[in-house]
Amino acid sequence: MSESRPTDSATGLARSNWESLARGAVGHFGSAGSDQESAELLRELLVFGLDGSAYAVSVERVREIVRMKKLTRVPRAPAWLLGVVALRGEVVEVVDLRQRLGLGASTPNRLNRIIVLHGDVDRVTGLLVDSVSEVYRISEDEIRPSQGTDASCVGEICPRGEEFVSILDVERTLGVSDD
Amino acid sequence: MAARRSKKKSAKSSGAQAASKAKAASTPNSKDNHEFVSEAEEILERMFEDLSRLHEQRHGDTEVAPDLVNQIFRSAHTLKGLAGMFGLDAISELSHRMEDILDALRLGRISVDSPAIDLLDDGVSLLATLMTRLERGESSDEQDPAMVQTYLSRIDEAIRAPEPQTGDELEGLDLDSSLLRALTEYEEHRLRENLRRGRHLVLVDSTFEMIAFEEGLSELSVAVREVGEIVSTLPSPGDAPESQIRFSLLVATEIEPERLASRLDFPNTEVHSIHRGQAGGPSAAKPNSHADSEGAAAETPSGQPVENGPAHAEAGDDSPLASSAAPEIESLRSISETVRVDIRKLDELMNLVGELVIQRAAIAAVAQRLTEDKYTARIGAELTKTHKALDRKLKELQSGVLDVRMVPFRQIFEKLSRVVRRLRRDLGKEVELKFNGADTELDKLLVEQLVDPLVHIVRNAFDHALESPEERTNAGKSPHGCIRVSAFQRGNHVVIEVRDDGRGMNVEAIREKAIERGLISAQETLSHKEVLNLVFEAGLSTATEVSETSGRGVGMDVVRTNLAGMGGLVDLVSVAGRGTTVTITLPITLAIIQALIVGIGEERFAIPLNSVLETMIVEPEEIGHSEGREVLNLRGEPLLLCRLGEEFEIEAAGRDERQFVVVLGMGEQRLGLLVDRLEGQQNTVIKSIKGPLQQIRGIAGATELGDSGAVLVIDVSTIVADAVRRREAA
Repeated sequence: MSESRPTDSATGLARSNWESLARGAVGHFGSAGSDQESAELLRELLVFGLDGSAYAVSVERVREIVRMKKLTRVPRAPAWLLGVVALRGEVVEVVDLRQRLGLGASTPNRLNRIIVLHGDVDRVTGLLVDSVSEVYRISEDEIRPSQGTDASCVGEICPRGEEFVSILDVERTLGVSDD
Repeated sequence: MAARRSKKKSAKSSGAQAASKAKAASTPNSKDNHEFVSEAEEILERMFEDLSRLHEQRHGDTEVAPDLVNQIFRSAHTLKGLAGMFGLDAISELSHRMEDILDALRLGRISVDSPAIDLLDDGVSLLATLMTRLERGESSDEQDPAMVQTYLSRIDEAIRAPEPQTGDELEGLDLDSSLLRALTEYEEHRLRENLRRGRHLVLVDSTFEMIAFEEGLSELSVAVREVGEIVSTLPSPGDAPESQIRFSLLVATEIEPERLASRLDFPNTEVHSIHRGQAGGPSAAKPNSHADSEGAAAETPSGQPVENGPAHAEAGDDSPLASSAAPEIESLRSISETVRVDIRKLDELMNLVGELVIQRAAIAAVAQRLTEDKYTARIGAELTKTHKALDRKLKELQSGVLDVRMVPFRQIFEKLSRVVRRLRRDLGKEVELKFNGADTELDKLLVEQLVDPLVHIVRNAFDHALESPEERTNAGKSPHGCIRVSAFQRGNHVVIEVRDDGRGMNVEAIREKAIERGLISAQETLSHKEVLNLVFEAGLSTATEVSETSGRGVGMDVVRTNLAGMGGLVDLVSVAGRGTTVTITLPITLAIIQALIVGIGEERFAIPLNSVLETMIVEPEEIGHSEGREVLNLRGEPLLLCRLGEEFEIEAAGRDERQFVVVLGMGEQRLGLLVDRLEGQQNTVIKSIKGPLQQIRGIAGATELGDSGAVLVIDVSTIVADAVRRREAA
C-alpha cells in the first residue's frame, strides 16, 4: 500500500502515504534538486485568500487557475453550488467555498478566481476564491491536524510566516462524502 | 474431420490446374486484384510477425503459446477464404496447405520442432511474391505453378514423419466423462499438453444472468487468462433457474487452485480442483481411449497423395525464394490505402470540430457587433463574408467527420439474430426474424447504446407477444410467429421499427394494473393510446402482468429512459390479435445537435430541436384551465402547459405578458413549455455534467454557446413526464 496514489489522501493518512505524496510532488515539479539532498519531507500547497484568511490545497489536485467567468446558475442545485462555467468546451461546476466553510454566500465579482481541481475519476470542479497567493513549500513536520470537527472542510493547518494556513480536505469540500 | 480431409485431397489433385487458372484470372481484372492485395497484405504482415514470434518461442525454453499458433492458423484460413473469393486459386491452395501444417501443430500431431514449421516461412515468402506480382499486374510467368508445386510437395514430405506419441494423461482424471467427451480434438490436445507440463487443473463453475451472460463470461475469461489457460468453455446444465445460465471453464494453471479461487472474485462462481488419478502422469501407458486421436495422426500422412511429392523434391531448397522475401514484403507495405481508426480518436476529432463550431458562433457575434456600429460597419461586413466562407467549410468538415463515424445497422441485426437464436433454443418457440434496411447508417456510439433497448424489445416480443403455435393456428395465423425489425432514415432521424404479429397488448389488463398501482384513478377515461403509453411508466411492466407467460419483466420504462438519453423517442401501436409495433426515432448522430435557445428572465436554456414539434406566441387570455392545470387549445386538442420559470424557480415575465410556447413531444406525450423569449437555433455539442449536478431532474447537460458561456440543456423526457404525472395526480 505504500504505492497509494496521492489523490487517495483523505484525513487520517499513514505516514508512508505522505512520503510518497511528497516524493510525487518533488518529482512532478522536477525543480527540487536541493530539497532532495536534505532528508526533509516537503509538501507543496497552493495558498489562496478567502474572507481575509489564508487557505490552501495540495498542488497535485490543482489543474489550473482561471479568472472569474460568466457563471450559469443551475436550478434545483444545492446552494453551495454556484453554477457552471464553460472552460474551452468543457463544463465545470463551481463550488462557493465561502458558503461551504460556513462564511455566508459569496457575491462573485470580476476579481474572483476559480481554482479548478481534479476530482475523482473524470470529474472536474472549480472552487471560487478571493485571490490566489503562491505555491508554498513546507516540511511535513510542521503540518498538523486541524482542531475542527469531522464535518469541517479543513483537514490540517500549518504555519506560514506570522499567520496560519488552513489546508482543505478536497473530498469533503467537494461534497463527495456527504450528500 | 473426414469431410475436411477429403476436401484437402481434391484440392490437392487440382493443384496444378489451380495455379494456372490463377494466372488466367489475374490479368483481366486488376482492380479486383488490387482490392485483394490491399486486404491480404495486412493478413500477411500479421502472419509474418506472428511467425517470427513463433520462432523466438521455439528457440527459447518456454512452451509455444497455443494462442499464437491459433492466430497464425486463423490468418492462413482467412487468407484462403479471401483468395478463394477473388478466384486466386494458387494463393488459396498455398494458404490451405499452410493451414494444414498449423492445424497439425495445434492438434499436437506434429511437434513444434518439426521441419514443417520452417516451411511456413517459405510459404509466407512465396505468398508475398505471388501477391507482389498480382499487384504489379504482371502476368505470372511459367514459374508460378512450378514454385507452388515444389513448395507443396515439400510440405507433404515434412508433415509425413509421424510424431512420437506419449502416454495418456486423461485416464484417471477426476473429471466427468461427459465433459471429457464434449472436448474437441484441439481442446483434448491442450488438456494433455497442460497435464504433461504438470499444471493444475481446475473447473470454474459460474452462473450468469441470461441477459448479461456474454459480458459476464468474457470478464471472467479475461480474469482467468491472467493466471492460466482456458482449455474449454462449456455450458453446463445444473439447476440454474430459467433466467440464468451456467458455464464450466476447464482451466489449466501454474498456481495453486486455492490461490486461483481467491483471485477470482466473481459472484456465483465456484472453483473446483480436479485431481489426477494414480494412473496419470507423464509416464503412463497408452490406454485404449487414446486410439482415436492416434489413429487420426497416423491417418493424416497416409491420407495425403504422394504422386507429386518426391518428383519435385530436388528443387525444394530454392534459396533465392527465401532471400527475396524481405524486399517483397517491404514493397507490399506501401500499397495499402485503408486505415483502421480507434473510435476515441474520432471522438477527439469530433470534439475539436465541436469547439470550432462554438468559436465560429463567437466570430459571428463579433461580426454582428462590428456591423451594427457605423464606424466599423465595413469591416463588419467583410468579417461577415469571411465568416460565411468559414461556416461553409466547417459544415463540410463536420459532415466529413460524421461520415467516418457512421456504421451500418447490420451490426445490430447480427446481435439481434444471436439473441433470437438463443431464445429459440431456450423457449423452443419457432419464430422468424426478418430484417430490413441493414445498410441504414447510424453514429457508431448510438449503435452501441441502441443494442440493449432493442434486445429488450425483441425479447419482449418473443417472450410475451408471440403466442404458442397451437394458439396461433386456432386464431387462423401461421404457426410460426414473425418479428420484423426495420431501420430507415427519415430526414435527420433514423427510425427503427420492431413489429411482431402476436396477440397484441391487452389494453384492459394494462388499465387494471395501472389502477392497482395507483398510476391512474379508476374513474379516469383514457384513450386506447393513452393506456398503451402507460407501459412506459415505471412500475408497470406488461411483461410480467399482461401475458400468461411468466416473464422476466423487462421494464419498458428503462427502454424509454435509455432512448431519451440519446435524444430518441419511442412509440407503441398495438392491435389486439394482430400484433404490436414499437417505433424508435433517433437523431442520426449525437455528436452535434441542433438546439433551440430559449430565454427566461436572465437565464437561457437549450432544448434539443428534435423534441420540439412547434413554437408559437400565446397571449395571456388564450391560456385556459382544465382540471386545475393550465392548458392551451391547440387546434381543438388541449395542450398541457408548464411554465419553465416556475419549474426552475427563475424570475420570469409576469403572467399577464405575452409568452412563447415551445411544444415538446416525447413519444405520444405533448407538453407546452412557456418561456419568455425564443433566441434562435444553434448547433451545439452537449456535455454531460459530472458530480452532484448530474442528478438534477430536468437538466440533461450543458453546452457552450459562443458568447454567453455555459447554457444548460433541458432534459425533455423528465420535464414532460413530471408535468404529465402531476396532472394525473391532481
